[in-house]
Amino acid sequence: MDFELSVIVESLPALLEGAKLTWIITILGIVGGMVCGVLAGLGRIAGTEALGEEPHGIFKPISIVIRYISAGYVETIRGTPIIVQAMFLYFAFPMLVKAVTDIERFRIEALTAAVITIIFNAGAYIAEIVRGSVVSVHKGLLEAGMSLGISRFQLIMYIIGPIAFRRMIPPLGNQFIISLKDTSLFIVIGVGELTRQGQEIMASNFRALEIWLTVAIMYLIMTTVLAMSLRHIERKMKIF
Amino acid sequence: MSNIIELKNVCKSFGNTEVLHNIDLSIQEGEVVVIIGPSGSGKSTLIRCINCLELISSGEVVVNSISIPSEKGKIRQVRLEVGMVFQQFNLFPHLTAVENVAFGPRKARKMNKSKAAEIAKNLLNKVGLAEFENKLPGQLSGGQQQRVAIARALAVNPKVLLFDEPTSALDPEMIGEVLDVMKSIAKDSGMTMVVVTHEMGFAAQVGDRLIFMDDGRIVEEGKPGEVMKNPQSERLKDFLSHVKHH
Repeated sequence: MDFELSVIVESLPALLEGAKLTWIITILGIVGGMVCGVLAGLGRIAGTEALGEEPHGIFKPISIVIRYISAGYVETIRGTPIIVQAMFLYFAFPMLVKAVTDIERFRIEALTAAVITIIFNAGAYIAEIVRGSVVSVHKGLLEAGMSLGISRFQLIMYIIGPIAFRRMIPPLGNQFIISLKDTSLFIVIGVGELTRQGQEIMASNFRALEIWLTVAIMYLIMTTVLAMSLRHIERKMKIF
Repeated sequence: MSNIIELKNVCKSFGNTEVLHNIDLSIQEGEVVVIIGPSGSGKSTLIRCINCLELISSGEVVVNSISIPSEKGKIRQVRLEVGMVFQQFNLFPHLTAVENVAFGPRKARKMNKSKAAEIAKNLLNKVGLAEFENKLPGQLSGGQQQRVAIARALAVNPKVLLFDEPTSALDPEMIGEVLDVMKSIAKDSGMTMVVVTHEMGFAAQVGDRLIFMDDGRIVEEGKPGEVMKNPQSERLKDFLSHVKHH
């Protein structure tokens, strides 16, 4: 077996380009996924005692509708493979748009499709993380807050939020790393991320060992950075 | 003196179980009312109906001239005037002692930060915890936590304080320090207090009225000394004999 270090050196610029794209998709994906996840996670428990008191009047049916919409989103995304979601968005969705509207040349950029897919996919899993953490906040703390006469918004912002967030960090770490690795699946819609770059170099020089080892190490470095950032946030938060 | 709390024909059910049966109770401003009774008798539920942590099934609760359930939209106003101290303290674990106490003034009373901190520090001083202001709840003993919780309830300047078995979760040697704080509030501030407790000594010393509940009803009430000396019902006699033996 021969191992050529020069192969790695030569392919490094292209691989780094791919890694950069992987990183961009991941960061946009998890930022958007957090927004999506917090909304859907709170949506799944809207109007329940986990967020204070049950609402009365018109807010009661509204909260039920919000719960169904959020649950529908989470179950749809969790119940289908991410690769199918990406292909649907990239190939099928434009056809759907063409079929139901007059827009002839509607298409989604591969990179855009990748980012949107990660956002919605991560969002569904993060929603469950948010829901689990919020539900786990001791009910007595909500009662203590309510008994001071604060609003529901203040209760969520200043009591439920900070306590739940601290509990979310370890499972969020999992999800962020999974999302980063999921970007490798966008090879199927032609996004030039790290895995695809590796695949292309490999196809031209057939140096599987050097290329895939380098690719693996690059993923490992990126996931380590993610994990360490979360550890840092966790340590910076007060211990309780 | 006017009635600050009135319960009129209050019933409360959880599912099919009725835990409060037709309760009528009036509490005057400045009165210290102690509620005793066996577990499951509805004492906690009764005081939780006063600040609307439980919504009553029928009847009416009037607190500071606000009637519940007809003025449901004003529940927050009721709570601003009715503080509560819990058996399990329920301090916010992510906030320091002084932040816990300042939280109500800051968020519920919309005070500025320095004013709220000043109020909080004064109150912590009053409950003897000035030097613990920057500790997190997890770093405090049970008795200390409960004293912070009392300061937190006082900080929004309520007219009424509810105590839901405030010493039941404490080690015996810490009960005294919490009761002392409660006694000084009762004596110095003229605060209306409704206290669910098993501490008969506290009831005798600072209670204006003692209420004995059993099975969701008020069975006996009167001056604490008299009620304890001359219990009328068998159930109270039986209850007192059990409490005294421990």
